[in-house]
Amino acid sequence: MKILTCPVNGPRPVSEFAYGGEVRPMPDGATCSDREWADYVFNRSGVPGVKIEWWYHIASGTWFHAERDTVTDRVIRTWLPG
Amino acid sequence: MANMRSSPLAHALATLHPEWIDVAGMPLAATLRDDHSGRSDKLGVCDLSGLPRVGVKGPGAAAWLAARGVPVPDQPNTWTLLEGGGVVARLARTEFLVEDGFGGRIAARLAPELKPGTTGVYPVPRQDCALALTGTVVNELLVQTCNVDFASQARDACIVTLTLMVGVSVTVLRQTFAGRDCWRLWCDGTSGPYLWETLTGIAAELGGGPVGLKSAFPDARFQNLQ
Repeated sequence: MKILTCPVNGPRPVSEFAYGGEVRPMPDGATCSDREWADYVFNRSGVPGVKIEWWYHIASGTWFHAERDTVTDRVIRTWLPG
Repeated sequence: MANMRSSPLAHALATLHPEWIDVAGMPLAATLRDDHSGRSDKLGVCDLSGLPRVGVKGPGAAAWLAARGVPVPDQPNTWTLLEGGGVVARLARTEFLVEDGFGGRIAARLAPELKPGTTGVYPVPRQDCALALTGTVVNELLVQTCNVDFASQARDACIVTLTLMVGVSVTVLRQTFAGRDCWRLWCDGTSGPYLWETLTGIAAELGGGPVGLKSAFPDARFQNLQ
């Protein structure tokens, strides 16, 4: 069983979580070009490596960040953003 | 006026030939036809959805509750006892569930005070299916339905666990309720019938099953509930 550690609720099986995508900086919609905005909305990086991702603990409604190596699927750390 | 509130489990309970009792305006099963004595001692699943409860969240929620004399748990995922046998559960850093026991009316008093527009204090609608699990083999049921090892939790730690049980998001804690050691469960009311059907089915395999209030809590005083 894969275990992911929620920063609030502790270690839980990964079935209690939902993946929310990679954390990416959002361009300023008022000043960026259409191309930059479209790139942000539609494109994702598939390059394997260590990434910071959004994860969601379903049972408690907790969104948090996880640093995960997508090559080995090893979660390095998790924390609450902000 | 007829009862205006209905338990999420009303239809499921109606098939078990219940004798109804009014709990804060909601009919709950006081007894069930096949609820033989001893079932609660082995493994009983009892509907407590009618107990008054209120949800509150926001950065000012803890102070708002404390100002009204409610004992606020210090840490997230812990609970404290409320006067009258109820609970105050801290579900996150800034979210709380307050539920009255059979002898309390604090949640019922708080609910009308919780109005939109108070800065930093927001009402959370709580239309839960609330259950109590009683008996000596409750842990067998928990092991089959959930990934959390409840047996390892220290009794005096007053832990609130938010997890998935047979795929349903639930809040779980252990308390002495109306004089009886039991596990309390809350889930969204829409998931209640599925959770009830699943838990009572497994409970039946373990020698238990659905029970009424009078069977689950024989020491409780029900005349104060209406």
